[in-house]
Amino acid sequence: MNSDSAISTRGLTKQYGQTTVVNNLDLDIQAGQFYGLLGPNGAGKSTTIHMLTTMTAATSGEAWIAGQKIAADPVAIRRTVGLVFQDSALDRTMSIDENLQFAAAMYNLSPHDANKRIDELLAVFGLQDKRKRKLLTLSGGQRRAVDIARGVLHKPKVLFLDEPTIGLDLPNRRAIWRFVEQLRREEGMTVFLTTHYLEEAAACDHVDFIQQGQLQLGGSPTALTQQLATYILEISTPNPEQISSQLSPLFGQPIREDEDLSFKIAANDVDFYALQQSLGDAVSAMQWRKPNLNDVYLWTFCSPQQGNVI
Amino acid sequence: MSWRPVKAVVGREMSKLFRQRARLISAMVRPMIWLLVIGSGVGSMLQGPEQDGYLSFLVPGILAMTLLFAALLSALTLVYDKEFGVMRMMMIAPIAHYWIVLSKLIAATLTAMVQACLLLVLLLVLGLVSFKIALSLLLPAVLTAICCAAIGGLIAVYSKSIDNFAVIMNFFIFPVFFLSGALYPVSQLPTYLHYIVLINPFSYGVDLLKHAVPNVPTDFSVMTDIAILLGFSAVAIAIACWQFSRESVHEPLFHRATKGN
Repeated sequence: MNSDSAISTRGLTKQYGQTTVVNNLDLDIQAGQFYGLLGPNGAGKSTTIHMLTTMTAATSGEAWIAGQKIAADPVAIRRTVGLVFQDSALDRTMSIDENLQFAAAMYNLSPHDANKRIDELLAVFGLQDKRKRKLLTLSGGQRRAVDIARGVLHKPKVLFLDEPTIGLDLPNRRAIWRFVEQLRREEGMTVFLTTHYLEEAAACDHVDFIQQGQLQLGGSPTALTQQLATYILEISTPNPEQISSQLSPLFGQPIREDEDLSFKIAANDVDFYALQQSLGDAVSAMQWRKPNLNDVYLWTFCSPQQGNVI
Repeated sequence: MSWRPVKAVVGREMSKLFRQRARLISAMVRPMIWLLVIGSGVGSMLQGPEQDGYLSFLVPGILAMTLLFAALLSALTLVYDKEFGVMRMMMIAPIAHYWIVLSKLIAATLTAMVQACLLLVLLLVLGLVSFKIALSLLLPAVLTAICCAAIGGLIAVYSKSIDNFAVIMNFFIFPVFFLSGALYPVSQLPTYLHYIVLINPFSYGVDLLKHAVPNVPTDFSVMTDIAILLGFSAVAIAIACWQFSRESVHEPLFHRATKGN
């Protein structure tokens, strides 16, 4: 393991019966990093988080958090990490205050320290005047915010966020990210994120794509998108087969989704206007743009070699 | 290990107990119905002095019933919290996981004792027990409450969901209650039932409570009752803690979340 790492794993594996959910995972995440683990449903993201936070034991392999071996002292690890579960960990029948006071007591914070910290966090989330409100009366975004506040009450060195914005609308998702960014800036914690919304992972320092429990591809979001292609060309056409066979000698096999084709283009001197002219009426729409993490995801998990249909 | 997390878990259960007035009132109504309806009904079939004797005989029994229901239902929150996510808050806390079980069982014992004390006050007001008897019932009640909490903890850590627990209520609580000597003297039961009563730890709680009421026949010695109650509770709590600390208990909780991954 690397001694500067906030999180390290070597050969970390989890099996449920015959199924291997996480397979031989090697991670090194530097302290203070914003790290994203991305992948399709059932790829092993949550299981990885549960192993790293001592919620479930690894079948084999080792892991360290801030230099401490996980298996050696789970209680000490739980003191070091914060975890925001995919499903809420709050009592809906209690108020924000009761929930956070309870969580603070579980972290052995004195009532005085707990009150100060709760004030501080609720101010970050703009919930200071709702402290006595029952959780049931809050919006989904506000409840999530309280969940995150609960996860950072004890100022963890490493914060795990398991799909923190799932099920939230766009304004709430943005708000949650502003809070996380502020917490990261003010408290300097390492953040380990899993998310379905890949545009949210663009802010990460490093992302890894995981499929069937194995790492597929990793790097900084900028490097990954640059490596993927210079441009992504998207064409809508009633004759996808024809366009596909016409253009694949130039750009390689596309990803096809019904009547939509998506090509990745490595060259930076393609004359798209001339191409548009030559295709003429055969296409109903055509656009080219810079690639993003969604494209990296699609080309990693739905590439033409894997069947090229989404 | 600090006591603050334990106090928080116990405090949460206590505040819920006093907040849910209906639950508290219904917990008082159940034994009163048993005492007044069954007690008077069955009692009317008995002759002369036996009639009054049956009501006195039932007092320890219905007190034990209150303790059993209260402690078991309170231990059920170990499953309930797992279903509704609060268990996650406790699991991620920096305490050994068996402390969650111990805290819940302390809360279950206290909940049972609160209800038992309320019932005793009610019985005092109705003139069914004297102050002296009520007082001497307290210590046996504590031991019985611990034993019932231990039974509840054991059932809770082995049940996966609340549905399962509802089934267990019918298959465990009622047999445990009826086959304990709470309603009739053990010595008059057919042999095979007698053996079931002997292996039911709750029987010894009922018997210990009977020792506190004068003129009520008992089946075992005080020492036997205390030794079995304490011995059983210690073993059951140890098994509950061990089982809860094992991974498989938490799998359903997190595995379901993992499915959506």
